[in-house]
Amino acid sequence: MNIIVFALLALLAITAVAIARLRELWAAIMFTGIYSFLSASWMMILDAPDVAFTEAAVGAGISTVLMLSTMALTGQGEDIPRKSSWMPILIVVVTGATLVYGTLDMPALGAPDAPVQLYPSPSYVERSVEDMHGLPNVVTALLASYRGYDTLGETTVVLTAGIAVLLILRRDPKEASATEPSAGDEPA
Amino acid sequence: MTLETIAGLYNYWMVIFLMMTGFYIVLARKNLIKSVIGLNIFQTSVFLLYITMGKVNNGTAPIIPPAIVEAQKSAHESHAGAAAGGVAEHGAGVAEHGAGVAEHGAVVAEHGAGAAEAVHAAGDIVYSNPLPSVLMLTAIVVGIATTALALALVVRIREDYGTVDEERILELDRGE
Amino acid sequence: MIDAIDSHLAILLIVLPLMAAPICVLLGNGRAAYTLALLVSILTFACSVTMLDEALEHGVIYYDLGNWHPPYGIEYRVDVFSGFVLTFVSGIGAAVLLYAPMSVRDEIPASKHYLFYATYLLCLTGLLGMCVTGDLFNVFVFLEISSLSSYALISLGKTRRAPLAAFQYLILGSIGATFILIGIGLLYQMTGALNMDEIAARVPHEDGPRTVLVAFAFLTVGLCIKMAVFPVHTWLPNAYTYAPSVVTCFIAATSTKVSVYVFVRLIYGIISPGFAFNFLPLDTELMFFSLAGIFIASTAAIYQDNIKRMLAYSSVAQVGYMLLGISLATPTGLSGGIVHMFNHALIKGGLFMVVGCFVLRLGSVQMSDWKGAGRTMPWTATAWVIGGLGLIGVPLTAGFISKWLLLTSIFEAGWWPIAVLMLVSSLLAVVYIWRVVETLFFAEPSEAAAMATEAPLRMLIPTYLLIGGTLVFGVWTTYSAGIAHAAAIALLGEAP
Repeated sequence: MNIIVFALLALLAITAVAIARLRELWAAIMFTGIYSFLSASWMMILDAPDVAFTEAAVGAGISTVLMLSTMALTGQGEDIPRKSSWMPILIVVVTGATLVYGTLDMPALGAPDAPVQLYPSPSYVERSVEDMHGLPNVVTALLASYRGYDTLGETTVVLTAGIAVLLILRRDPKEASATEPSAGDEPA
Repeated sequence: MTLETIAGLYNYWMVIFLMMTGFYIVLARKNLIKSVIGLNIFQTSVFLLYITMGKVNNGTAPIIPPAIVEAQKSAHESHAGAAAGGVAEHGAGVAEHGAGVAEHGAVVAEHGAGAAEAVHAAGDIVYSNPLPSVLMLTAIVVGIATTALALALVVRIREDYGTVDEERILELDRGE
Repeated sequence: MIDAIDSHLAILLIVLPLMAAPICVLLGNGRAAYTLALLVSILTFACSVTMLDEALEHGVIYYDLGNWHPPYGIEYRVDVFSGFVLTFVSGIGAAVLLYAPMSVRDEIPASKHYLFYATYLLCLTGLLGMCVTGDLFNVFVFLEISSLSSYALISLGKTRRAPLAAFQYLILGSIGATFILIGIGLLYQMTGALNMDEIAARVPHEDGPRTVLVAFAFLTVGLCIKMAVFPVHTWLPNAYTYAPSVVTCFIAATSTKVSVYVFVRLIYGIISPGFAFNFLPLDTELMFFSLAGIFIASTAAIYQDNIKRMLAYSSVAQVGYMLLGISLATPTGLSGGIVHMFNHALIKGGLFMVVGCFVLRLGSVQMSDWKGAGRTMPWTATAWVIGGLGLIGVPLTAGFISKWLLLTSIFEAGWWPIAVLMLVSSLLAVVYIWRVVETLFFAEPSEAAAMATEAPLRMLIPTYLLIGGTLVFGVWTTYSAGIAHAAAIALLGEAP
């Protein structure tokens, strides 16, 4: 099991670095899909099959499709190389170091006495047997009932995004003709 | 720093490395689509951070096997039945109730016995924490919504400027 | 019946605009959508006022969603402070809608109107949701609702720079939101709780564990991006400048204030001020950044010829005053910071409404095009003067009250240099406000200004509602500084 985990983690790291270095957008998008699949696999090992399914479907599926179609619409295949500046590296290193510093007091991976596992007591698993009248999947119970309100919020986010995309991309003929002159100076 | 701490924390450090790679892509890339890709990597890695928190050693996914659910259900029913019959054993664990089913023979005997066994086994199952999974299911959907909106903006910007390269766009704006 | 509604007010406040948004889309008609949105926003305002009243009389209101008590479920928690923020956010939401139709017709294509009002309502839902909830993860979800809808609203501006400004805001805003998500995760990991009160009770304080420190740092940075604190304010000037006038009014008056609200909750409700200010030197850091922000942003505002951009830089400076109040951690200082949220919302909302009126008549936000418009549009120009006086903090305006409270508190602490700096920074505000006043009244009218007519009453009345508010609350402070003081006492008292 450990070997699989190490291999997965190594692959994840390689993929992430590859995405950072790749100039060609098409390849970067493909690697993003792979990255999502690898994350989904690790989530599976970490006992979160529901999240793994969703990540595989949404992260590797829908978002890849969205990005590819955007690329097709914009037709820009390459990230133009430029002199790299030190600022982003500096910010990232500082942020990363802060986070690593923060891990030093964390409970170890899988520790049964971590606060997350001890609280609330009785745990959701124990409660849901009583409350949910035999619903086997506790994640579903949480999603639909205990924290159902977050799920309503999540649905609202999707609604917002849907309306927003309509709002951004819809163009009526009047407006298109009005903005034509200002767009006239764009190079072919 | 002992080997033990490293063994307990390496996965967090790995996740931090992944997060920071995504963060770097967002900050350093000038292509708008590439920034969105970076944002995606950044967010996906944060999902991993949460999911790692929920994991318990020797745990399993928080899905209660159907056999145990059945057993607990029938335990419930038999408990109710037993209470009506005046043979109630209060304060007993679920397992005992399950056993009670078997003894009582009120429900199908074989099934009850099986259930009792299952319930005994249930005591040994360790479940990973379901809450991080739930939070991340929400976050994944929020993430894809953000991505969709960002890409719609990219398409719009491309229509107006003819490019999705941030520096080119800024040059065009200065030229006006 | 009334009792039944009364006990569900907390959720009604969110559900009303939330449900009205898809109905607006289904109506598919700009005018119908507008009527519904206006009606709902007024109802929401009524709900908030009732809740504030109830919180003042009977103390904190708790509401368990789905009847699952915390730690299992999500809880709504409305105290005086959240009631106060809810009231002015929903009030300004309604006032801006009252003002909106003519400006929207002028700046946004007709086929998008119904979608615009739906998005507006969703943005309002998100902002209100952040104020009522007692659950930290729920804050993140509603933060995203309000952020996504504001990106979309900003992108509606007329020029092609609007979508770009929205995109830049989206990238920075999402980084902020992800930082907040990381912070919430780390806090959850150390406590096992998501409910704010429970986190506060369970978070290990004494030995200051490093994880909690880092969690706090990430939440702070994430919220600072959303509050547009200097130096992570870079999204704000472009976003405010290129967004349609109505959107700028609404977002400038409410959005950053709600983030400030969450930040205050974080410091005073979750991590105690003792931990934040004594263990960490956060107060000195906050003070440094707020003063630096006040000076740099005010100076930048002086050099702007685009009036929207000028007000945007001024907003960055004003957030500095709020943070200054928060970092003081005394009842007077904190209530100064809180009441400044309200006063600034009134003043900035009003000033951006004035800008919207000029845009409608002159079609420009450049200073040169506004020349002499004070003669043809005296009422609009007068509103600018009153609002400007409030922004500077002249006595008898609301701006004076908050600056007075801040100054008193600074004197109490004996920090003379900071008091002097605050007074000097007010002079910077005098400079940029005066530049516009001079242009409006004392310059030869530009061609457009000479032809212009007074702004329509439908826009002037809501403008004067807010601008008049700055005068009213400059004299009569029972319901502004009074409530802010009660909120500050409660916040400081509840800190463990």
